[in-house]
Amino acid sequence: MTEPHGQPDTQYVQAAAEFGEALARLARVYEADPDLRRDLLQDIHLELWRSLARFAGQCSLRTWVYRVAHNVAISRSLRKRRTNLVSLEEIADLPSAEAEDLAATDVGNVARLYVLIRQLLPPDDQVMLLYLEDMDAASIGEITGLSARAVATRIHRLKAILARSFA
Amino acid sequence: MTDIKSAWQRQHIEEHTMLTVQDLRLRANRMRARLSHRNWVLYLYSAFNIVAGLWLIANDSFPNMKAPMLLMIVAHLFVLWQVWRRFGLGKLPPETSGQHVLQFHRQELERQHHAVANAALWYIAPFMPALIWELVIWYGRLELATAGGAATQKVFVLVVLAAILFWTCVWLLFSRHAARLMLELERLSHVKAE
Repeated sequence: MTEPHGQPDTQYVQAAAEFGEALARLARVYEADPDLRRDLLQDIHLELWRSLARFAGQCSLRTWVYRVAHNVAISRSLRKRRTNLVSLEEIADLPSAEAEDLAATDVGNVARLYVLIRQLLPPDDQVMLLYLEDMDAASIGEITGLSARAVATRIHRLKAILARSFA
Repeated sequence: MTDIKSAWQRQHIEEHTMLTVQDLRLRANRMRARLSHRNWVLYLYSAFNIVAGLWLIANDSFPNMKAPMLLMIVAHLFVLWQVWRRFGLGKLPPETSGQHVLQFHRQELERQHHAVANAALWYIAPFMPALIWELVIWYGRLELATAGGAATQKVFVLVVLAAILFWTCVWLLFSRHAARLMLELERLSHVKAE
């Protein structure tokens, strides 16, 4: 197996600096346990570094980074027995904040978002996460493999849930 | 809506990890070393069985058992090849898009389930002809040699029972594994694909 050298190393450093925080947020979605989360994050970085040897500008670096990260995370989560997952269609509202004093704060809202994403089936969880990361519909489609129409339907549904929950 | 997005992106993250390229190389090498170690263990185990079998044949240790022992060696080689062919995991390029990942996992699970569900045919059955042949030869010799001793007969019965128990356990383990894989497949079928 050949490992990336030179250019990919530079690209990795650039990608990790630019998208490191987003990758950490993604790892937090897929792993609640801090130790497992650290492992997942390291695996994502490792795969990202390896994959950059094959990156030749087929898409934007951002899309590439998210695609690799999502695939590593989803591969790991598929090996686990996550039960009671639902689709966006089955979600009425966001779960309420556990602590009442956090209900209207950013911390409380973000906590509710985590609870919701962790309840969702793939690829709905991916769509929601990417939407929150401010990815456009075309890029979400590229990363998840969903059609533009399927992404649009999900985003529409997601916006309705968020509007109801944060009105 | 922008507020909730910016709240999401502004959240405090304590584990913002950026590995150095040196760390990454080290981890990649360790991973390769682990896989290589596992493969070497399998190769050495098979090599030991084959060499031991050949040595026993060459030294004429069991003159009446040469043919079944040779057949057992062939069975080991066949099973090793089958394990490599059927249980070897495919690797998906990590940049593949989402639905292809699900499809890939489903195909892998189906392949593994098929292999495990049919393990009696390709893992257990190849050893049976040689094993039965060896036992028949041994039994034949028992009849000649047991005029005065019931003890050797008892040993023979114990060996047969142990062999039956061992292969039943192997079969049960494969069956359990197949049931688990089926559960995984059912769970995966709930994951929506479009």
